[in-house]
Amino acid sequence: MKNKDFAVFIISHGRPDNVVTYKTLKKCGYSDRIYYIVDNEDKTIEQYKKNFGDDNVVIFDKKAIADKVDEGNNFDDRKTTTHARNACFEIAEKLDITYFIVLDDDYINFRYRFIDKYTTKGYVKNLDVFFDIMLEYFIKSSFHSIAFAQGGDFIDGESCGLITNYLYISRKCMNSFICSTERPFQFVGQLNEDVNTYVTLGSKGYLFLTVPFIGLEQLQTQGQSGGMTEAYLQFGTYCKSFTTVMMHPSSVKVSMMGFTSKRLHHSIKWKNTIPLIINEKYKK
Amino acid sequence: MKQQNMFSKKEVSEDKEEKYSLKIEAPIYEPKNKKPFILELYDKSKSSILINQINGSNISSEEKEFLIEAAKRHTVFNYEKIADYYAHASKEVQEFMEQSALVIIDFEKAIQGGYVRLCENIKQQYLEEYQDEE
Repeated sequence: MKNKDFAVFIISHGRPDNVVTYKTLKKCGYSDRIYYIVDNEDKTIEQYKKNFGDDNVVIFDKKAIADKVDEGNNFDDRKTTTHARNACFEIAEKLDITYFIVLDDDYINFRYRFIDKYTTKGYVKNLDVFFDIMLEYFIKSSFHSIAFAQGGDFIDGESCGLITNYLYISRKCMNSFICSTERPFQFVGQLNEDVNTYVTLGSKGYLFLTVPFIGLEQLQTQGQSGGMTEAYLQFGTYCKSFTTVMMHPSSVKVSMMGFTSKRLHHSIKWKNTIPLIINEKYKK
Repeated sequence: MKQQNMFSKKEVSEDKEEKYSLKIEAPIYEPKNKKPFILELYDKSKSSILINQINGSNISSEEKEFLIEAAKRHTVFNYEKIADYYAHASKEVQEFMEQSALVIIDFEKAIQGGYVRLCENIKQQYLEEYQDEE
């Protein structure tokens, strides 16, 4: 990469032998620094170190981070990615890194999606270049975080929800987060933390965005062991969805989502959620 | 409802009835020429009901104060109307609206202009990788 003040942080838990994102990053042409962010309650820390090297595995104190966050429930359950995501800001500072992207550990592809028109062909071959391109925009704009789109955003092709539901005034930001130590923010809630965060902070003027040109693809949600799977199976998506409703009841509801097996999901009315971005010419 | 969007030059209706050309544009809102009435900017229907019920109860004044503040979380703000209003508001009101993050100002087109460059750069990279397959 051209920008040397950057690193990839892969957050992971209990999957030292199945960090799919690592292989995907290599396949898609990323050649720079990767750190594996693992909590001190993970019983497989040594295996992470063995697989990826002591210097590349960063351990954080999960309880200490959790104590600083509104978890949105009283379950006293630290099965969440919230704390790892929040730890990344402090970790980046300690590593003297200004810009970083936080990735989950289960990505199987980075694929082109919108290049003038909707497309599904072609996985990204040079992520080094794309991270630089995304970083350039991130640095020059005032976003607190920007993300790649997700595979699910494109269900239904050109009529997909990404276009018709939310993106025209949407500032969602999920899963992959380009961040900076100079623009810190805090993820909130044990469940649905990415949604809670871009809704609650977005409503106060923090800027988040999903860039639709490239979409990441993941292994099937709730279909593999480790990570958040156990928490989702325990609570279903009821608690997950309602966490965001509790945090922003004026514009978030729940609705049913899915084709074969329906499940509760949050539904955000964007025009009632986030202040809009307007040109400077309107300012007197 | 006039609304610039990332994919279309056409207006986007809330009912999603219109077709999209997939022309990618920055997520910038273009305020309308008409200044909305101030009461159009927010909807207190639910919060008012809650507040009236709280005020009519026999709970302590401290509890009332807390619950009334909490009830205001149900006030619905219409940020499109708010942006429309901002464009026609006085300088003083605009400054209060900015301080309260009711609109975001895109200074020097950092968001809009940068987005166009981002789009072009990604397209260029895509063509370099897949030109033979176009």
